[in-house]
Amino acid sequence: MDDDVSNSLRRMSTRARKVAPKMVAALASTDNRTQAILARLEALENDNPGAEVVEPNDDDDASLDEDDDQVYHKKQSKGTKRKTRQAKALETAKKAPRTFLELLHDANLESLPPHVPSYLRAAVGPPSSTCRRHFCTVCGFSAKYTCVRCGMRFCAARCQNIHNDTRCLKFVA
Amino acid sequence: MASNVVVVLDNGGGLIKAGIGGERDPTAVVPNCTARPLSSKKFLLADQLLSPTEDLTSAVLRRPFDRGYLINHDLQSTIWSHIFSSLLHITPSSSSLLLTEPLFNLPSIQRATDEIVFEEFNFKSLFVSDSPSLVHLYEASRRPYDVVSKAQCSLVVDVGFSFTHAAPVFQNFTVNYGVKRMDLGGKALTNYLKELVSYRSINVMDETFLMDDVKEKLCFVSTDVARDLQIARRRGSDNYFRCTYVLPDGITHTKGFIKDPVEAQRFLKLSEDGELPHSEGTEEADQTEVKSKPSERNKVDLTKNEFSLSNERFLVPEMIFRPADLGMNQAGLAECIVRAVNSCHPHLHPVLYESIILTGGSTLFPGFAKRLENELRPLVPDVYQVKITTQEDPILGVWRGGSLLASSDSFISSYLEGKD
Repeated sequence: MDDDVSNSLRRMSTRARKVAPKMVAALASTDNRTQAILARLEALENDNPGAEVVEPNDDDDASLDEDDDQVYHKKQSKGTKRKTRQAKALETAKKAPRTFLELLHDANLESLPPHVPSYLRAAVGPPSSTCRRHFCTVCGFSAKYTCVRCGMRFCAARCQNIHNDTRCLKFVA
Repeated sequence: MASNVVVVLDNGGGLIKAGIGGERDPTAVVPNCTARPLSSKKFLLADQLLSPTEDLTSAVLRRPFDRGYLINHDLQSTIWSHIFSSLLHITPSSSSLLLTEPLFNLPSIQRATDEIVFEEFNFKSLFVSDSPSLVHLYEASRRPYDVVSKAQCSLVVDVGFSFTHAAPVFQNFTVNYGVKRMDLGGKALTNYLKELVSYRSINVMDETFLMDDVKEKLCFVSTDVARDLQIARRRGSDNYFRCTYVLPDGITHTKGFIKDPVEAQRFLKLSEDGELPHSEGTEEADQTEVKSKPSERNKVDLTKNEFSLSNERFLVPEMIFRPADLGMNQAGLAECIVRAVNSCHPHLHPVLYESIILTGGSTLFPGFAKRLENELRPLVPDVYQVKITTQEDPILGVWRGGSLLASSDSFISSYLEGKD
């Protein structure tokens, strides 16, 4: 039983068979949960995690030059020529540096013969033991229970309430 | 010859270490990023971020690095030109450059870097090196009678800003088929701490610089997580890990600080069974202090702009040892080292285990080496010795190796590659 709990993916699949079909839909699918985990890891690599509200255009106005304000005014006057949303998006896409993952994709490392060491082959790989400790996402102590909606962990009813009230489904899109 | 200046640049994802080859310490150790404070429209570069007068609250950050690799070359060249002209005071056209690059750098990134170095800065020549070999070089020269230099090989564990590498080095060359990488480094740890604090006490999601400071000052590696979790559960002054960090208010103090430094350091004195040695004098003082303001301790922190940490202090660096706890499908640091060693020739195994060198800023957590040894020992055959040394200054280790290399005679003649 303990083993089952440790592997949330496996546990979900056994559970889905037992419950009613409507309930199955209510439970987040395993796919959603892996997505949530990935989203979470992605968030850890983010430079400006709090900046989600900031408009991307905001950054364009700021520059490193001294004549910052002039540039700003010019941009505004230019802005009177209306651009379509698509054109704008294209422009920002061109300007923005490509992310590492895009560069990695372009480098096409998969095509290398298997004996050549590369970025992909240097990754350490999955751990040898699958056992995983779980910490309560609310208070940090070891957590026994899993939220049925989003898969996050909590240790007690008190923490569950806090979890449900605040960030249940936070990383699930 | 004045024209033989070699600029050594350890271009890290978090910090740039820059200086002149042959010197002991780099001239500049500055963050490799630009940030724009809320109040202004101008991005501040590198060393401007370190000046105490700047208010970096909720600053918007931009880094040229993503996941440890250089992606924004325009931004990087802006930062470099600032460093070269106003910090190092060198003219690139009459000097050479020794640059570090991450392991397995992508060819497209290398090309773009070469372009900047030669076409934009017009350096005379460029030598690109990787960090593990430089660390090995430095350690071998420091300890000439040690295994590291006698056997000419070592295992460099670099816990960096964006990722962690365990890299075997043999005869001053990194054995690239033996390198193992974990995608977890200082940046992820800071972000994780931010996430925890923001959820549990006060929103600090925007305060990267502040939380870096908190992480560096308060986090440590636990040698026994289960025991420490029990201690962290206690209330009042029995909880040896609880400590309070005061946020800057922008008026009386512009930098955050630890409320009670003595309280924050208590965990260092913990004995094996998790109890503090009883020294009557301090205990007494603690007691009276607690009694005098019990209400203050339990008050809501939000009004006073401070937050307290307890189990977060060791659960954050814990992730380097067990990334699986975060949901990351990667092995921990100890296993990473074992796999790196196992991919080398069996004759090297005993020597590599005996010459593990820790470098990178994230190894500065107190207790890091001890915990690593505890985890590594059961995984290594017991006929081999395990010896882990932390570099004297893990942040500057790579740069010093580069400086050493740049000052050696053979470097000038043999290594430098010119423009093409």
